[in-house]
Amino acid sequence: MTILEAAQALRKRDLSSAELTEAALQRVALLNPKLNAIMTVLEESARAQAKAADEELSRGADRGPLHGIPIAVKDVFETRGVRTTCGSVIFMHHVPERDAGVVEKLAAAGAVLVGKAGMHELAYGITSNNPHFGTVHNPWDPDRVPGGSSGGSGAAVASEMVFMAMGSDTGGSIRIPASFCGTVGLKPTSGRVSRYGVMPLDFSLDHMGPLTRSVRDAAVTLEAIAGHDLRDETSSTEPVGSYLPAPGCSIRNVRIGLPQNFYFERLDPDVDMAVRRMAATAESLGAVIIPVRVPDIPALNAVGRVILLAEASALMEKYIGNRDQFGSDVLALLDQGRLLPATDYVNAQRLRRMMQREFAALWSQVDCLFTPTTPMAAPRILEKTVKLGDHTEDVRLAATRLVRGINVLGLPALSMPCGPDRRGLPLGLQIVGRPFDEALVLRVAAALEDATEYHLAKPAEG
Amino acid sequence: MKNWKKIAEANDLRIPESDLERIVPALETLEAAFRPLAKTIPDEIEPAITFRIIPEPAE
Repeated sequence: MTILEAAQALRKRDLSSAELTEAALQRVALLNPKLNAIMTVLEESARAQAKAADEELSRGADRGPLHGIPIAVKDVFETRGVRTTCGSVIFMHHVPERDAGVVEKLAAAGAVLVGKAGMHELAYGITSNNPHFGTVHNPWDPDRVPGGSSGGSGAAVASEMVFMAMGSDTGGSIRIPASFCGTVGLKPTSGRVSRYGVMPLDFSLDHMGPLTRSVRDAAVTLEAIAGHDLRDETSSTEPVGSYLPAPGCSIRNVRIGLPQNFYFERLDPDVDMAVRRMAATAESLGAVIIPVRVPDIPALNAVGRVILLAEASALMEKYIGNRDQFGSDVLALLDQGRLLPATDYVNAQRLRRMMQREFAALWSQVDCLFTPTTPMAAPRILEKTVKLGDHTEDVRLAATRLVRGINVLGLPALSMPCGPDRRGLPLGLQIVGRPFDEALVLRVAAALEDATEYHLAKPAEG
Repeated sequence: MKNWKKIAEANDLRIPESDLERIVPALETLEAAFRPLAKTIPDEIEPAITFRIIPEPAE
């Protein structure tokens, strides 16, 4: 069931929010011991929120499609009176006195917060193999990672614990778990969704967005959480649009760019085939596929890595004296950032501006880009390298290679399921759009979802 | 190749030698990719860093 289906059932009185919430809590109780997707379960407050939602809906006070819907937020979003750890032992006892801007908006939309989702330590990694709070497992195969850093969000949505879970994305951390867990994951344009009250990994690359079971669920969530927030210096005043694609929406004459360089190199052949199949489906729906050459993405990735290493290390500098507080992978990244010269950071931010201009030229040729989200399906837990063709590659660098640069550019990007690989594991198609053109990205994705059934596949429960 | 050990010592970063050895290959790879790019930046390009002056309300 999707958010929109549940919302309809709530309004027909076929279901109550209390029933949906009990079902969500039961799913958490059943599956969380195996998956470790939810770090903090909020049974009491969730039941109270569901009761309030039912009362409001029964008297016609309708807050919109999220009203009465059980959700989770990554444990990077501050929640008043509820521990928010950022997946780190440093914040083990951090109980905020405020809600994040996104949490405020979700509460105003009537969503029922069932829990805080597990994550990679400090949101700084792609496995969600957390040394302090345990490994998050992939619902499709518990021996595999769910992706990260929003791994708990991906696992919670894919295993149907909740209808939607918020994630954060600094170098792919929404889209990677969406790809590995077979969910939709939307990283909106930089500034579209408030960062207020979200524990930062990075000042200039962090984005907030939802992981959901359908494209339209991502759209209604974006409608609830988008908008200017004075408390976030980078928040945009660009007007919020209407994001929900119409039933049977058309993509006739939409120009879809299919990169001829970089994005289809060093892929698992199943990924290559799945993404090209989605492009063919789009073409059959009337879209125009245009081969394009994209600017230098390896350079963009290098710029993104310098910015992230420097900013994350600056943020954590005051804690790094006690090295035992960090997992070894996170510590290695923090140490790298501390060794980079300040000139590299400034020049990376200058290159970012240059590359933003280069990439902008692409939008005169196409309306959006199709790329794979990740070059392979979910790797096994503790797998350090992955072999793609003749190349053996670091798992973290491979998983971020196709998504990181989009954060540097601040563009909206969505990952959606595009078919299983030969082992039955989910794969992701990434759709990248113009700045603030989430509506087009969502419309293209919704048309593909309407025409295919990849999003209906569910992990076996064993 | 930079002497990362000396850089760490000069900056009093207190990174244990074994940890330093582990990250040097990644730093070298990143430097090799990034250094040539930095040489291509025209002088007039400013960094994409946000800094805004917000007027204070009059008393």
